[in-house]
Amino acid sequence: MTKLTRRSMLGAMGAAAAASAFSAIPAWAADRSIRHFWWGNPERDKRTFAVIDVFQKANPAIEVSGETIGWGDYWTKMATQTAGRNMADLVQMDYRFLFEYVRRGALLPLDEHIGKTLMIADFDQGPLEGGKVDGKLYALNIGSNSQVMVHNTRVFQEAGIDADLINWTWDDFAKACETITAKTNGAVKGSDDLSLMIETFESWVRQNGREFYDADGKVTATVDDVASYWQFWADLREKGAVRDADKTVILDPPIAESGIAVGDTAMSHFWSNQLVGIQAVAKDKIGAAMVPHKAGGKPGQFIKPSMFMSLSRDAKDTDAAIAYMNAWVNDPETTAILGLERGIPCSPKVRAALAPNLTEVEKMSVDYFEAIQSKVGPLPLPAPKGAGEVRDAFMRVGTDVVLGNAQAADAATAFIEEAQSIVERAQ
Amino acid sequence: MRRFFARNAPAYVFLLPWLIGFFLLALGPILASLYLSFTRYDMVNVPEWVGLDNYVYMFTRDRRFWKALDVTFTYVALAVPARLIMALGVAMLLDKGLRTIGLYRAIFYLPSLLGASIAIAILWRQLFAADGVVNQILATFGIQGASWITNPNTSLYTLVILAMWQFGSPMLIFLAGLRGIPRDLYEAAEIDGTPRWRQFTRITLPLLAPVIFFNLVLQTIDAFKTFSSAFIISNGTGAPADSLLFYTVYLFNEAFKFFRMGYASALAWVLLIIIAVFTAVAFFTSKYWVHYENERD
Repeated sequence: MTKLTRRSMLGAMGAAAAASAFSAIPAWAADRSIRHFWWGNPERDKRTFAVIDVFQKANPAIEVSGETIGWGDYWTKMATQTAGRNMADLVQMDYRFLFEYVRRGALLPLDEHIGKTLMIADFDQGPLEGGKVDGKLYALNIGSNSQVMVHNTRVFQEAGIDADLINWTWDDFAKACETITAKTNGAVKGSDDLSLMIETFESWVRQNGREFYDADGKVTATVDDVASYWQFWADLREKGAVRDADKTVILDPPIAESGIAVGDTAMSHFWSNQLVGIQAVAKDKIGAAMVPHKAGGKPGQFIKPSMFMSLSRDAKDTDAAIAYMNAWVNDPETTAILGLERGIPCSPKVRAALAPNLTEVEKMSVDYFEAIQSKVGPLPLPAPKGAGEVRDAFMRVGTDVVLGNAQAADAATAFIEEAQSIVERAQ
Repeated sequence: MRRFFARNAPAYVFLLPWLIGFFLLALGPILASLYLSFTRYDMVNVPEWVGLDNYVYMFTRDRRFWKALDVTFTYVALAVPARLIMALGVAMLLDKGLRTIGLYRAIFYLPSLLGASIAIAILWRQLFAADGVVNQILATFGIQGASWITNPNTSLYTLVILAMWQFGSPMLIFLAGLRGIPRDLYEAAEIDGTPRWRQFTRITLPLLAPVIFFNLVLQTIDAFKTFSSAFIISNGTGAPADSLLFYTVYLFNEAFKFFRMGYASALAWVLLIIIAVFTAVAFFTSKYWVHYENERD
């Protein structure tokens, strides 16, 4: 969906007409305009268009047009625009696609603007670092994230679960699932079946002391990692303590269809910036727990700069684009509108300004963020080319295990082989 | 030559908009895709010539290519006859000359108009979900239904049913064909006391053969190109477990999700060849079963 203001529409049409009729006369070029493209949801889109309005009022000379679409179609559209050399000036970027786009030469580095028009000197260095490729900053962090086990606090209380939700283990988790299912006579299952969630599996691998991919982009997760993970869920499935297989194999369902939103289950895996969105659709009050740990294992979770803003190769008016970017991370009015919807901002000033006005669920996500700081591991290296395809393969092969058509161990062997060949072919 | 033009000029005038569209909009991309099918192209960098690599990989190492062919062929084999039988059946009912026939035609045609749309695919997904309408109806008869869409053993059949339901356009063509069969043939048969089904096999089917042939070719081509319903119902991935990995869905993913435009172009050309072969076979065999009325003179 593309939203164009009437003014920008007329402007664009006029410009197009002028361009075709009098291409030699650059009169229309004086009109400054920038396009901003992001993946969104209704809540995010509302906030972003409000930010655009604020920016327009403060900078009447710059025309901003916003374009938004859901995550699923975003990368398709972006790839097409990139191929057509028609990228928006500013694009929302994700950590897992950053390297791919930089390596393809589709983004411009921001370094020369820092300190001149882009004011990020006082920002947290850790989260900023994640936007660098080969030592250059290609992506400005507009929100940090971490994995989170969302849980239904009412069900937890009624079932009498009193586990330490920051330091708990997979055994605690399994016990909680069984208790909840038993106490509610199966009306509420303990958890969504996370067999197909490669994000949770990634934590599992790291707890085993490995990364999913090594520095060369090779698959280092082992058959054992995968088999033990799928077996863990198979055991819970057999006990009836997780959501039905039928509902599990629906891939990437919208938040509103997750077990925790519908009330089918008491737990599910998400990213922390989604807490606000989940609370909006869930009937009960939600709480945030860490992904369970392995007894004596390494930390599996990490804090990820999840949402970036990047300057594209096709940007014409880079000064206007940078000014807009700067407003996003510094302007008090803008950052107040954005809140925590895209994650935790990495400017301490912005966080301090937001603190007094946080809603209950926003406050909870900030508290959660504070609580996990010392429990997380380092940020993994960016995923190699082909990682998106590996994610699909994980769900595809895992589906056979969930539906009982394959044994965890056999499927694990098949998946690792496939993952290796995908990554190899993508290089 | 001049006579040829004199006779066909009106046809060409009517074809002109399409021809212009074809030469201006389609021919370039078609040729470009042929070239790209011999390259490795990630949509950003310059295409790199790799010769026949894409084709060799496709036939020797790509398991998902074969899976996609399997799914698509199964679908074509089931959906095309199912839709044609449905279309002919409804056309024959409507041919009986109901007074409100215009209304019925419109109603029956509606699913086909909506058919390609995203909304119907989403509706289908809801109908056949675990707690969908289909299972609620089954439950009233005491049958515990499966989750049709998310079970790899049944998901493809829900799409075959969807295809059956979208019988509108072949139905209209059948209807026109049925209208063209002289009534007196049936009257004569009636007087001879020929049973209904015999009238059907001896009069209706033979005289309808050209129309059946036309519909068969068109619907087969259509079925090979099925995309939007499978794409929506499988969330764009061909899931569950690749049971909805239609050829075009696989092609789309390779091109736009995994940046393999060259490989996707090669896939597209293979699909073109498959469709061409099927059409050629249909035309070749047609002379044994399709007879045209004007062949008599």
